[in-house]
Amino acid sequence: MSRTYLGEFEELVLLAVALLEQQPTGAYGVSIADELKQRTGRTTSVTGVHVVLYRLEEKGLVCSELGGATLARGGRRKRLFSLTAAGQQVLQEMRQLRLAFWESLPTLFFS
Amino acid sequence: MKKPSTRPTPQGPPRWAARLLRWLTPAGLLEELQGDLQEQFSRRLEQVGPSRARWWYGREALKVIRPYYLRRRAAELAQLLIDRFRKRPDHYHSFLKPETHSSPVISLPMLRNHLKMAFRTLSRNKLYTALNMAGLAFGITCFLLVGLYLFDELTFDQQHGNAGRIYRVIQHKNQKGEVSTLAGGSYKLAAEAGKILTEVENTTRLSRPGRANLINPENPVNFQETITNADENFLQIFDFPLLLGDRKTALAEPNSIVINEELAMRLFGHTQVLGKTLEFSHLDAPLKVTGVLKNHPRNSSFNFNSLVSEATFRSSEFFRQTMAGDWSSTNFSVYVLLKPNTSAEAVSTKLTKLTLANFKPEVGTSLSFSLQALKDIHLYSEGITDGARNSNVEAMAQGSPFYIRIFWFIALFVLCIAGINYMNLSTARASNRLKEIGIRKSVGAERSALIYQFLVEALLITGLSAVLALVLVNVLLPFLNQLVDKQLSLGLGTDYRIWLMTLAATLLMGLLSGSYPALLLSGFRPVLLLKGMKINSQGSLSLRKALVVFQFTISTVLIIGTIVLFRQVQFMKTAHLGFNKNLLVVIDVNTGAARDHFETIKTSMTQIPSVKQVSVSSRVPGEWKTIRRVKINPQGKADDPQVAYLIGADKDFLNTFEVKLLQGRNFVNPADSTAVLLNETAARLLNITEPSDQPVEIPAMARGSEFEPVLIDNSPFKARVIGIVKDFHFQSLHDKIEPLVVAYHQNPIHGIDYYTARIDATGIPETLEKLKAVMMKADPDEPFEYHFLDQQLARFYVEDARRQTLLIWVALATIFIACLGLFGLATFSAEQRIKEIGVRKVLGASVADLATLLSMDFLKLVLIANGIAFPIAWWGTGQWLQGYAYHIDLEWWMFAGASLLAVGIALLTVSYQSIKAALANPVKSLRSE
Repeated sequence: MSRTYLGEFEELVLLAVALLEQQPTGAYGVSIADELKQRTGRTTSVTGVHVVLYRLEEKGLVCSELGGATLARGGRRKRLFSLTAAGQQVLQEMRQLRLAFWESLPTLFFS
Repeated sequence: MKKPSTRPTPQGPPRWAARLLRWLTPAGLLEELQGDLQEQFSRRLEQVGPSRARWWYGREALKVIRPYYLRRRAAELAQLLIDRFRKRPDHYHSFLKPETHSSPVISLPMLRNHLKMAFRTLSRNKLYTALNMAGLAFGITCFLLVGLYLFDELTFDQQHGNAGRIYRVIQHKNQKGEVSTLAGGSYKLAAEAGKILTEVENTTRLSRPGRANLINPENPVNFQETITNADENFLQIFDFPLLLGDRKTALAEPNSIVINEELAMRLFGHTQVLGKTLEFSHLDAPLKVTGVLKNHPRNSSFNFNSLVSEATFRSSEFFRQTMAGDWSSTNFSVYVLLKPNTSAEAVSTKLTKLTLANFKPEVGTSLSFSLQALKDIHLYSEGITDGARNSNVEAMAQGSPFYIRIFWFIALFVLCIAGINYMNLSTARASNRLKEIGIRKSVGAERSALIYQFLVEALLITGLSAVLALVLVNVLLPFLNQLVDKQLSLGLGTDYRIWLMTLAATLLMGLLSGSYPALLLSGFRPVLLLKGMKINSQGSLSLRKALVVFQFTISTVLIIGTIVLFRQVQFMKTAHLGFNKNLLVVIDVNTGAARDHFETIKTSMTQIPSVKQVSVSSRVPGEWKTIRRVKINPQGKADDPQVAYLIGADKDFLNTFEVKLLQGRNFVNPADSTAVLLNETAARLLNITEPSDQPVEIPAMARGSEFEPVLIDNSPFKARVIGIVKDFHFQSLHDKIEPLVVAYHQNPIHGIDYYTARIDATGIPETLEKLKAVMMKADPDEPFEYHFLDQQLARFYVEDARRQTLLIWVALATIFIACLGLFGLATFSAEQRIKEIGVRKVLGASVADLATLLSMDFLKLVLIANGIAFPIAWWGTGQWLQGYAYHIDLEWWMFAGASLLAVGIALLTVSYQSIKAALANPVKSLRSE
């Protein structure tokens, strides 16, 4: 079975979408960039996040709609992203994969 | 330094960044990105302040420059273009449109594929790529060089804001059959035209009365400057940029002078000279500097380095009597500024009427005026005499329409031929690519895609060639500059129009030369291609042959032309002029003191041991200043005067110049002040065979183009002929020897202007120092100006030498291109006949036989080209030599030599391919059938 390949940054963005779409801010460029910066400590550019989001959308892992214009945005709408079923599944598979690895590592590794 | 506090602090994101976003972001994605960045920006504004926030915004915006956005944006714009072209309604753009569907013609993966294929093809056939690039780069280089030259020539005097409305007044006069065209007008004409004619916005007068010393009293150095007088309107009509001073008032006051940077540096050592004074050798009161002009750009017809206000002279008695009320003279260059949308012809007519209303010319003389546009002054002033300059002021430098024509020819010829050669080479080797095309077609390539592929290839190679050409141009420019005496450059500072032209030429050349193979090759049926079809190209083969013949014809003509011109220049440089031009030092006489004491000065000069002879004269042979002309007739035959040149000279003139006296005697003493010598031509004209004090009359003389009476009472100057000298070339060899009268130095027509000393060949610098000392002793104000006569004479032929160099280069260029064409043809034919050669070889033909067989074909073409070239060259060079009064004869060896050269070069070019084909192992060519 061919699996959708995800890079590390893509995976983080995907996770951020999953987290933020539950919250009142919603998942869009700035909120995702902020979230990632807060969690990883890396500065992430909004344009970079955008490009990754578009790629994820092309792969069918997220879907999007326009909305939520505010004054701070100069009256421009934002693109709000949410996970698709396929996206949820990919995240699940990732998690499984990683967990399987961790479980087979000897405990010695942690000491 | 304190910053101005009133500057508003911009609160928004940087404008350039916002613009960048708009340009580069695909339309569907722009809004959200802008929104996100704006949101981030307004937050940062509070957190870190405006400057940091703006910096962040810029950084973010720059990140739009990434392939993901750029590719989509490019595809989007292309689509937009195509839609507009096809007049289709703008159908909906989905947010993430698969890019492969964007267009069958311009799609990015296809373009990438084409580029990749092009690179592969080019790098697989290195020889062809090199040949093609050499040819194309060469073509573009020539085109660029010529473009730069033409641009410079055609933008002469265009730097003035009103350039399109400025005209120069030209006077046409017909005086009893003597036609003269003068650039000039009278004082009143300029003064009244501006007031009376409604179409004229403003007029200005300029005059160049001669040379004089301009001296900085703090640091006096004697140097003769060419003086230009201008009225107060001059700087308002023309925008000569002023570094210092006010253009409205600079020339208004008497005793004002405006100088340019170069003169300021020379006189004062710096340019902050406003308000300083200068002494002027012809005026009592000093001149005040009221302005400093920038130096003239290279493409300016005007070359004055100072302007003295006309007001300075208006109060003088001489000026009031001769100029102020005058309608008839041509002592001023008059420029008029017309109101917008006025016809110059209408104004010309009015100017003529205006003058004729105030001034009646003599019976039999007709007078009219015309206006010459400022932009035409540089290139189209042939035959127009500058009326407002003294004979000792150099004429305005003129452009040469001859060069413009030659250069146009070269540019177009070289570019065309280079393009055609490319076309030729690529069709010639198309047989190699037929299989590729066949396969592409059978797997579904549309014809348009194939055409597109070939065009991309052609554009790629022209693009690369253009880059190469840019490098070449910069390498070659110094040589061209030397040749045409200009300062052209190609770099970032070059006018944008030149770059546009380059781009257009490259694109056009790429498209045109790529289109023929593209259309030809893409049209074949795939089955035929895969079956191993050979292009049946009788038609295109004869086209190619015709092209080679054409190229070699031109090359041969040019080689012959070069040989002929070379011989002619040699001839002119070495011809015997009738006098000995070597080791003659000519010293200018500029001041009255030097003129009055010339006997003393001459004696002191003669006493210098290394000086053999000294002579004084009004003019010397090889003169660039005008030699005065006179009307002369035997006594009593005043109704039929002849025109001759006149030089005033002393008794040592003949000895110093080594001019041969054929009959009669030389001048002896001041009693001979009415005696004249004639040259053979003048003697023939006056029917004098034996000089015996025949009385002759000289009623009129001309400084420029107009004759005037010699003596105030209108009676002729009566002279007697005492001797006849052998004809000598007192003018350049371009002209026939004219009749010449050598009058005694004390004559009423022209006083002395030069000392000429014949000196020893050794210790020349010391001799010059001694001569200078003599001059300085006589008059310390006199600058020591001298030149060697042979160098002066060589300047007559600078133009010819320049043309010769130019022609050599053109000849080389055409030969090079012709060789490229020939090489292409040889390659093509060797490839076509590869089987034939294999069979011949198997049957026993030797390598030499085969090489000869292959080469002979081309030799025939070159010989045909020679056959065509000979009559053309014979006729052309013959015509051309007619322009020289004294010229060489055409000889058979010039033609034979050129022919031999052409054949030799052609053989060298072809032999590589011929020998390669002949040496090839026949097994290779024959086994695959």
